[in-house]
Amino acid sequence: MSLKRVLVLARRLMVQVIRDRRTVALLVIGPMLILTLGAELFRSEPAPIAIGVVNSDAGVSTPATGRIDLGQRITDELAAGDAFIVTESDEGEVDELLSEGAVLGVLILPRDFSASYVQTREIVLDLRLEGSNPTHSSAIAAYCAQAAVKVLAELAAASFQVPGAPQAGAGETSFPVSVEASYLFAGEQFDAMDFVAPVYIGVLALFFVFLLACVSFLRERSQGTMERLLATPATRVDVVLGYMLGLGLFAAIQVTIILLFTVWVLKIHYLGSLALLLLIVALLAMVGVSLGILASAFARTEFQVLQFIPLLIIPQILLGGTLWSVPDLPRYLQPLAYLMPVYYANQALRDVMLKGWGLAEIWPNLLVLVGFSAVLIAAGALTARREVG
Amino acid sequence: MQDGAVVEITDLHKHFGAIRAVDGVTLSVRPGEIYGLLGPNGSGKTTLIRLLVGLLKPTSGHMRLLGRPVPDKSLLSLVGYMTQASALYDELTVRENVTFFAEMCGSSERAWIDEVIELVDLGERSRSQVRTLSGGMRQRTSLACALAHKPRIILLDEPTVGIDPQLRAAFWAYFRRLAGTGATLVISSHVMDEAERCDRLGFMRRGKLLAQGSSTELRKSAAAATLEEAFLRFIADAAEGGER
Repeated sequence: MSLKRVLVLARRLMVQVIRDRRTVALLVIGPMLILTLGAELFRSEPAPIAIGVVNSDAGVSTPATGRIDLGQRITDELAAGDAFIVTESDEGEVDELLSEGAVLGVLILPRDFSASYVQTREIVLDLRLEGSNPTHSSAIAAYCAQAAVKVLAELAAASFQVPGAPQAGAGETSFPVSVEASYLFAGEQFDAMDFVAPVYIGVLALFFVFLLACVSFLRERSQGTMERLLATPATRVDVVLGYMLGLGLFAAIQVTIILLFTVWVLKIHYLGSLALLLLIVALLAMVGVSLGILASAFARTEFQVLQFIPLLIIPQILLGGTLWSVPDLPRYLQPLAYLMPVYYANQALRDVMLKGWGLAEIWPNLLVLVGFSAVLIAAGALTARREVG
Repeated sequence: MQDGAVVEITDLHKHFGAIRAVDGVTLSVRPGEIYGLLGPNGSGKTTLIRLLVGLLKPTSGHMRLLGRPVPDKSLLSLVGYMTQASALYDELTVRENVTFFAEMCGSSERAWIDEVIELVDLGERSRSQVRTLSGGMRQRTSLACALAHKPRIILLDEPTVGIDPQLRAAFWAYFRRLAGTGATLVISSHVMDEAERCDRLGFMRRGKLLAQGSSTELRKSAAAATLEEAFLRFIADAAEGGER
């Protein structure tokens, strides 16, 4: 070993890196960008969750207790917090509101709500949940139960002699409140993994296809075969479409295998059609190919291709509704989500896997994906410029 | 312009910023001719050839191939182009490379592809991946790719650079055969002894065509014994002309 040689080598490397100014810039800016985004996301307050209440409770009056209006008191209690937006609605429109996404859960308080409490001395909350996001579902259930417990505690604290009720000061958890939930979509057996899996499949497909397309297109240029290709009757559009088809086919095979693995081996729950899922991911992969081709025009080396990951791929994951659902993003970041192709694929994937929706409902998302592809292909063909010597 | 010229270039300019890579070149090449573009590195030979295949847009001037104005994509199926670097797909075999470029030009005559591979003496390696080949073999594969679609105009950018004398002789014998079948060849080189084998020559320097003609004519007009001497004489004359 020679220290001199090591130093000479180290100096050569430093000169090389510094000459590649974009690398230097991205070495610093890339991590800062991602950390900033991450900080914004982890620190952001989750957006309030919209829930509905159907209060048909008629209340009850007995000589021993006087008038009890549990339904109204729980409704008021729910409305008092900041984390949830509560609207009152009619029983008939519950499922409609849920499927529109206007509310994520509805608490249904039947006519005999107070009366049955007086009789049985326990509260069973009838909750109707949208169900496609397990985190939201459990938050709503907990919030409603908490409100009911609080109301009971207040009753007890007011020295109101409810037969069988524990005394004030006893642990709130001992109040006899339970939740009976029913689900519009998905259901109880769906867990957080089921919520995340569909979009993981999409994002991973996008990622690998992007790299594949970007590197192979770059190599076409750096090994000189692009020059040769363009000296044949082949046009740039021919070349780009050829890439789309060739790599798209690979992507389709990759996606099929991943999807079947997820469903059969990892036992992810899903509703809807497997073929439709395949279509969505294939469309996203097409976006990946065209994005890769476009990006390759701006890279000279394969190392520079890797630098696109923090710029083009990670923001898609963070902002596209993969880990954080878009309404939970800070308000000023939300518009960015609509610029991310991944967002539309995620929407469609969740709608199919968790809600069992079909082509009739998700086609607008697919159309946007096709649009992204078309725009990126056009831009790619324009920038697949001829090597200027 | 002469009638029936296969390649016609009229007052062609290509400037990259302040650099005049091609600076007012006018020349024409007749059918069945081997035209040699001779000049040192950086004299504009490669730029001229790339302009001819439409890879670059001229700053000004006109070009015609087979009487049709350039650029015209459909013309390119009649043009064979061999780049300086042997641009090939490493993962594909020799045959697959040759077939790919032939098909890109809309031709895929099996028998002819076999023949081309035989001609560059790669018959035994035709099923080898290109990455396993030596430099000379790659160069030959590259030539085969340029010829695989039976082009009528063949543009070769320093085809014999870095290959051994024996192979070089074989290449030139082959170029002569191609010209015999009616193909027209434009070959760039910076090696003077190759120039003797061309029917006509153009001396290029700093983007300008200093002189053209057969090697005998050029030697005569410069009153020089060798082409190299003639070239130096033309350069001196051009410099004087510039001073005047």
